[in-house]
Parts: sequence; C-alpha cells; structure tokens
Amino acid sequence: MAYLKRSSLKDMFKRIGLAIAFSPRMEALITEAKRLVNFFGSELILIHVGVKTEELEGQLDEILSRLGVEKAKTKVLWKENGKPAKKILEACREENVDLLVAGALKQEGFLKYYLGSVGRKIIRKAPCSVLTLIEPKMETTEFSKVVINGTQLEITPEVIRQGIDFSKAIAAKNVYILNEIKMYGLLMGTASEDTEDEVSGTRRQLVQDEITYVEENMKGIDVGDLKISIKVTGGRWATELARFCEKIEADLLIVGDDRSLTFFDRLFPHDLEDLLSTLPCNLLIIKP
Amino acid sequence: METLNHKEVINLLLQLAAMLIMARIFAEIARKLKQPAVVGEIIAGIILGPTILGYVMPELHEDLFQSHEMTNIALDGFVQISVVLLLFIAGIEVELQVVWSQGKNALKIALTSMALPIIAGFVVAYAFPEFLGVNINDRAVASTFFGLAISITALAVVARVLMDLDLFKTKTGLLIIASAMVVDVVGWIIFSVILSLSESGQEGIGVWPTIGLTLFFTVFMLTLGKALINRVLPWTNKNLAWPGGLLSLSLAICFLAASFTEFIGIHAIFGAFIIGVALGDSEHLTEKAKEILHQFINNIFAPIFFLSIGLKVNFIEAFDLGVVGVVVIVGFLTKYFGAYLGGRMAGVKRNKAMVVGFGLSTRGSMDIILGLIALESGLVSESLFIGLVILALLSSIISGPLMGWAEKLKI
Repeated sequence: MAYLKRSSLKDMFKRIGLAIAFSPRMEALITEAKRLVNFFGSELILIHVGVKTEELEGQLDEILSRLGVEKAKTKVLWKENGKPAKKILEACREENVDLLVAGALKQEGFLKYYLGSVGRKIIRKAPCSVLTLIEPKMETTEFSKVVINGTQLEITPEVIRQGIDFSKAIAAKNVYILNEIKMYGLLMGTASEDTEDEVSGTRRQLVQDEITYVEENMKGIDVGDLKISIKVTGGRWATELARFCEKIEADLLIVGDDRSLTFFDRLFPHDLEDLLSTLPCNLLIIKP
Repeated sequence: METLNHKEVINLLLQLAAMLIMARIFAEIARKLKQPAVVGEIIAGIILGPTILGYVMPELHEDLFQSHEMTNIALDGFVQISVVLLLFIAGIEVELQVVWSQGKNALKIALTSMALPIIAGFVVAYAFPEFLGVNINDRAVASTFFGLAISITALAVVARVLMDLDLFKTKTGLLIIASAMVVDVVGWIIFSVILSLSESGQEGIGVWPTIGLTLFFTVFMLTLGKALINRVLPWTNKNLAWPGGLLSLSLAICFLAASFTEFIGIHAIFGAFIIGVALGDSEHLTEKAKEILHQFINNIFAPIFFLSIGLKVNFIEAFDLGVVGVVVIVGFLTKYFGAYLGGRMAGVKRNKAMVVGFGLSTRGSMDIILGLIALESGLVSESLFIGLVILALLSSIISGPLMGWAEKLKI
C-alpha cells in the first residue's frame, strides 16, 4: 500500500481536533492540545456536542484567553444535539481533522485507565489518527519514553515513519520499536526436532528476522537525534506491547489501525480492542 | 490397590525404553533424510511390532510385548495419556488470532479442503463397504468416519515443512497454517458428533443430548472457560513456581476436561483438544511455556503413541494393496484438489494455490488418531486402517518436495 509522504513535521497534523464537554478535565485537555498545536503548527478545532448558549460561549472564551490559546488559529464547532460519537466524527470529517485528542476514563479507586463506549466508537470509526491521554495535565504531559508497534502488519511501515516523526516533534528521549515473533512457541517446538546448535540457530534467526524487518522499514527515515532501540519478544502483539509499556513505564504508545471491523472482531476481541480495555499509557492510534 | 509385580515392572520399563530408543533412532534417520519425525516413529513401530520383530524374532517379541497382561494394560494407560496430551498440544497450536487475521480465506480453504474428501470418502466407502472394510452394520457413520479421516491436515507436520522451505512467515505459509488450524477445530467437532451417532458410541446419554453437550462444551470453553483461564493464569504465573506450577496445572485441567467429555459420551480427546485451544489462546500462556509443553509432549509422548500403532497392527498380514491404493489415491487427490480450489476461490495465484493444496495434504497426526479410534470401535477394518497410515506416511513424505516444486513454478 502506498502512503503519501509528508514533507515536514509542520504538515504532519494540519488540524487537531478536541471534543469538549465542560468537564473538570476540559482545561487540562485544552492545555495538552495547545501544546501539540504549537509543536505541529496546526489549527485547533474544538468540538462541542450540545446546545450553544451565550453562557457557555462566554465561559469557553474566558478559558481560552486564560490558557493563552491563539484564537486566530482556533475554531469552535457547536454541534447541536445528537449522539456524541456520531457528531464528533461528523465534525472531524467536515473539518478534515488530522488528529483527534481524547481523554481516557479512570477506573474508580485504581490506577487503571480504559476507554468508555463513546471513546471506543470514536476510535473505531475515526477518519483520522487519535491520541488518547490517560491523565491530561495542566502542566502538560511529557512524552519522554515512546514505544512504537513494529509488529509485521500491513500498516507498520507507515506507523514506524509517523511514529518517528511524532517522536521527533515532541522531543522524545527514548524510542523503542517493539516487534513480536508470531507463533514463537509453535516454531520453537517444531524446531526441537533439530540438534542443539540448529535450535539456537533457529532462535537467533527468528530474532534477527524481526530486527531486519524494522531496519528495512527505517531506511530513508531521518531519525534526527532520537535514541531508537529495537526490542523483540514473542507472543501476541497487543499483550506484549502492554506488558513492555508497563515494564519500562512508557509515556506514549504508538500503534496503527487499518482493520475493518467484522462480526468476528466483535465476537473475539481484536488485539487493538485488548489495548483499549486496559490502556497501559497514553496511546496514539495512526490511521492510514 | 493392585500393583504390578517385580517382573511386570521390569517388562514395562523395558517396553518404554525399547519404544523410546527405536523411535529416536528412526526419527533421527528421518531427520537426516529431511522427513518429519513422525514418519520415522511410525516406521519404528512397524519394526518393533508383530510385522517385523514378531516375524523375525517371535520369541523376543513375545517376551517384550506379550508375556505380561498387566504390563500391557499399564502400557495402554501410557498410550492413552499420550493421545490425550497430543490432542492437548494440537489444541494449544491453534491460535484463533492467527485464524482471524487470515479471515475468510482460511475458512474457504479449510472448508473446501475438508468437504471434497469427506464427500468422496463417504461415497466410496458407502458404495463399497465390504471391499474397503467399513462396518456394514454402521455403514453411514463408518463411511463418514473414513471421509473425515482422509480430510485432516497435520498442523505440526506442515509447520515443520514450511519452516524447512522458509515459507512459514510468507502470506501463503500463514494461510496454510491458519487453514490447518480451522481444519483441526472443524474436524474434531464433526468427529465427536459422528462418534455419538455411531452404534458403538451410544453408551452415554443418547445422541441429541451428546450433540448439544458437545456444542455447549465447545462454546462454553471458548468463551467463559477462556475468561476463567485469563483470570487464573496471571495468578499462577505470579505466585506459583515457574514453569512447574503452570505445567502441572495445565496438564491437570487438560485431564479434567478430557475426563468430562469422556463422561458425557464424547471421546476424552475432544475435551483435551478444546481446553488446549482455550488455553493456547490466552495471552497469559507465554510463548516460552508453549515451547516447553511442545518439547516434552512432542519428544516423549508423541513417539510413544506413534510407535504404539505398529504394535497393534500387523502391517503385512492385514495389508491389502487394493484398499491401500484406493485410500491413498482418493485421500491425496481429493484433499489436494479441495484445498487448491479453496485457494483459487480465495483469490490465491495458481502456483501458490498448488502450494496450499500440497501443504494441506500433509498428514500424520490427528488422522491416525481418528483412524485408530475407528479401528478400536470396530468401524473400520485393519486393512483400511493400514491404508490410512500409509496415506499419512506417503503424504508427509511427498508434500514437502511438492510444495517446494510448486512454489518455484511460474504460473
């Protein structure tokens, strides 16, 4: 699949969307979005689903002024009543939003985050990339450790490219590209018919194949000053990514989404769905 | 509790040692000849059994395998456990995620590759039951059994061949693997249903309740059972010895599930297979754990089972060239063309569809277990069973080279 090459970071996300609901976390979310807008030189599209009143308009105006949001590059969309997910997606399409920012929900009493049904619906159907923040902060979140999904999927070359671009833009300190050997148990179990040397040769080869795959996909990408390490594990990618993110206490996980949701995906949760039900850290989902 | 006496214990240990040593020697020879280990293990059984050893050195054969009845019962226990564990590992090999990632294409290939041999096998066996040796009193069930036995793909064998040809991770390779997984699941469900329809299988609770329970057990294990496993496994991984805790507990639940399905009138191995699928699909069963399970089942229990086949049947006395010829030709051609057609229907290129066809034709695992159950329940004759074993041997041997050849074709 051929993807368009974007010329510079400034063009990566021309329009960043943010759905607002006058919740206690709204200001933190706006601050976070403002930071991204500054990084990418984008326009900010604020989407509110609900009736527009003078009071709310005034309130929002005051918040934007107080948080120092550049009003010339900000557009507020008031979507009158309707299903929130549907209206937000409609706004994203109308305004050609490239990146939608959303906040995750926190499990009562635990340090666990997940996406609500509206959030999931948005992620499934969004025409653009979606950044889910688990804990939006007023002082803005640092993305110091970034993990990129390097597992062999059709969309992966694009995920690696955009992931590296994003990491450069947000000045990440460490970037890990994680790759999984699929069906490692079956492969190594089958290899146990060989001699010890052959078995370790097979094991090395399996790891090397994954590293080569990532290296091939990094060819021609300007990584700037980023410190990138390639890690290889075995197993299912979503689970391994979640485990790795928890282990290194990652700040951001970048994955791709090019699936078309079928009946089976709902019956037997897809890898991405697993990730959405327990978010290990902030999550950027890249759509082609 | 009755126990084995001194002589019987010695006999049992010698039997197991002889079996493992012979299986190893012939598996190594097979390996040198670039053949699957299972080919060597089956041949080792034919040599150690009545066919060769019983003919050449009848006294030694009798001393080793026919002198103590109690020992043979104990050995049969070992073989039964080996079959249950083989099915358990076959279940663990099935990764539903891989199947879903291949989507409808794997389903198309799997179903056409099964439909053709089942229909053809049924028609041939139903039309000529006496010639082929299917039980005339249970004609429909026995014929379906025959069709099903020739419709199975050996996932472990094809995985090995694909690795050797360096095709495992290619699109075609993954498609073959995913299709073989579907064949396994569908095959075992059909198997347990038709077994309950058979005259000899009606010791349990009746046909319809058995069918209902089979489906209920499958759906339950893959949904609620899996959810339960997903809760228990993280706890065992964290708090119990590793891999000790995981190994003993996973085997324990395998035996529990197997005894449950045996109890409700389906065969024990079905429970072992389904619990294997549920366990293998859990993200908490690490790949390392799978590797360990594979190694000790594939290298200890699998050889005991595959070798034991040769101990049960005299391959010369009951050999019937006509039957073997029909089984091999019908089995190989229908499976190949079924999978080839499925591949073409799924939009696979001609030479790749041929690779898929030859790949799914590999046998030498579940088909033999199926055949043995049919033999032991009196559904098929020894000659027909020998035909199935020879089909497994031949298709395992020729599939690899044929896949390599088709892969290079420019069509």
